[in-house]
Amino acid sequence: MSTPVISASPLLRQPVLTDEDLARSHDRSRVHHARRHRRRWHLMWLLVGPGILAMLGENDGPSMIAYASDGAQYGLGFFVPFIPILFAMAYVCQEMCMRVGAVTHRGYGELVLQRYGRVWGWFGAGDLTLTNLVTLVAEFVAIRVGLAYFHLGSGVAVALGLALVVFTLSGGRYWRWERIVLGLALFNGLFLVAAILVKPHVGSVVDAFAFTPFPGGSFNTLLLLLASTIGATVTPWMIFFQQSASADKGMTPRDVTHGRYDTAAGAVLAAVFGIGALVAGAALLAHDGSGIQGFAGAGFPEALRHVAGGAAGAVFALGLVEAGAVAILTISASTAYAAGECVGVSHSFNSSPRGAAIFYAANIGVAMLAATVILIPGAPLLSIALNANVLATVLLPVSLVLMVMLANDKGLMGQWVNKRSTNVIGIAVIAFVGICGAAYGIDSFLQATHVIGS
Amino acid sequence: MSKHTPLVTATPMSPAIPERDLQSQERHEDELIMHLERDQFVAETSRPVPRAPLSARARAGLWALRVFVVIVSLMVLYTFVEQLH
Repeated sequence: MSTPVISASPLLRQPVLTDEDLARSHDRSRVHHARRHRRRWHLMWLLVGPGILAMLGENDGPSMIAYASDGAQYGLGFFVPFIPILFAMAYVCQEMCMRVGAVTHRGYGELVLQRYGRVWGWFGAGDLTLTNLVTLVAEFVAIRVGLAYFHLGSGVAVALGLALVVFTLSGGRYWRWERIVLGLALFNGLFLVAAILVKPHVGSVVDAFAFTPFPGGSFNTLLLLLASTIGATVTPWMIFFQQSASADKGMTPRDVTHGRYDTAAGAVLAAVFGIGALVAGAALLAHDGSGIQGFAGAGFPEALRHVAGGAAGAVFALGLVEAGAVAILTISASTAYAAGECVGVSHSFNSSPRGAAIFYAANIGVAMLAATVILIPGAPLLSIALNANVLATVLLPVSLVLMVMLANDKGLMGQWVNKRSTNVIGIAVIAFVGICGAAYGIDSFLQATHVIGS
Repeated sequence: MSKHTPLVTATPMSPAIPERDLQSQERHEDELIMHLERDQFVAETSRPVPRAPLSARARAGLWALRVFVVIVSLMVLYTFVEQLH
């Protein structure tokens, strides 16, 4: 954090402006201007960002593979309505993060640490670092899978991922970082294009919205699918990211309504694109999901090429590259925010690398660490990718409980505390996530130790 | 540490910058900071918020949840390692 608060001028007695303040005030002046002149769409354009990035960032490589695998193995029936329900859950959680960030101007890690003590702050940061590292490895795997379709190897995947991280950080402005990542994130729509290219039967997609029971399989498979699909929609990094990004963007309580539009737009886009991956994957259903086993070696896009043509395979492969790249940027950012907040030093894209060395170092360092793993010959990349979402689901309840506590803290939030209905839904989400994650963890452990049969 | 840019960035000892430019810059920065809420300044957000009193029941609940989550995480990690074999 920046320490001096008194101006160099003995006359003014004003707080010293940091570069971070100046950059943020530039952004805020545009928001004020748009609001004063009632330019609604321009105001919307200025205030969207953290919500869409959190939601589309979570439509990452492992998540899109998980949706496509669901479609390839079970068809559309259960999952088409299930995905929007999960994103509705994600909206409830993320709206709280945005609101707390806009009202307090502080990140999640910082508030937990200061309000509830260092133990809880560091536990949260520890959970985040663990799940982020595992997830980042999975993102590099997704880029590698996508690039393998074009006969490019791990080295290119690593170079692309790291180059993007460094490039987006180079501007020293939150606004620039956000707009670049937002531009990339819109290419998540490639999964919708892939779904159109496989020429699905429109009637069967529409019919799938009538909730059908789970299509079959063992209890453990059901739990795995639930845990990994939940982990594909709500994760600890999203909580850290959206609250910190809302504060970094300079959002205020006046912007909460637009923050809600932003989060809702992100949830709708993510659900539509997620269903796109599901529909594309369902094209493989008639072929017994063939090709999924070759996932680690670019099996999915290749399998799609055989079934629906080269264009569908190429678009799906490009979608995986995009999904992995955007997630690397947002997940690295959430790690950097958490590191800066917990150590108590400057943590903003609006600060210069010299002014926020730990923030920038954590951002690049965590991406480099994950990139190193995928270069290790024989590393269990497939297992890591498949277990990343499950681990996130298991660790999520603690982060969510602390989030609900912050959103109910009258001392911090004043009139912006949660409504009773938000609390009821929030607690139901925590219970659902906790039960699914724990049930899968316990059931798998009992099977692995041969206490129960599979 | 962030590089600080004081509201008044030059002293009378800075002859290279004409006074009119200085006034203009000062006015511009003054206008800019009007768009930030007082508690948005880095100087303000650097101050920690006071610690919230947690009841014994809330603390016990958080610890129980934490222990439970750690145990389940270890189970997931064990299963993950087993699957590798």
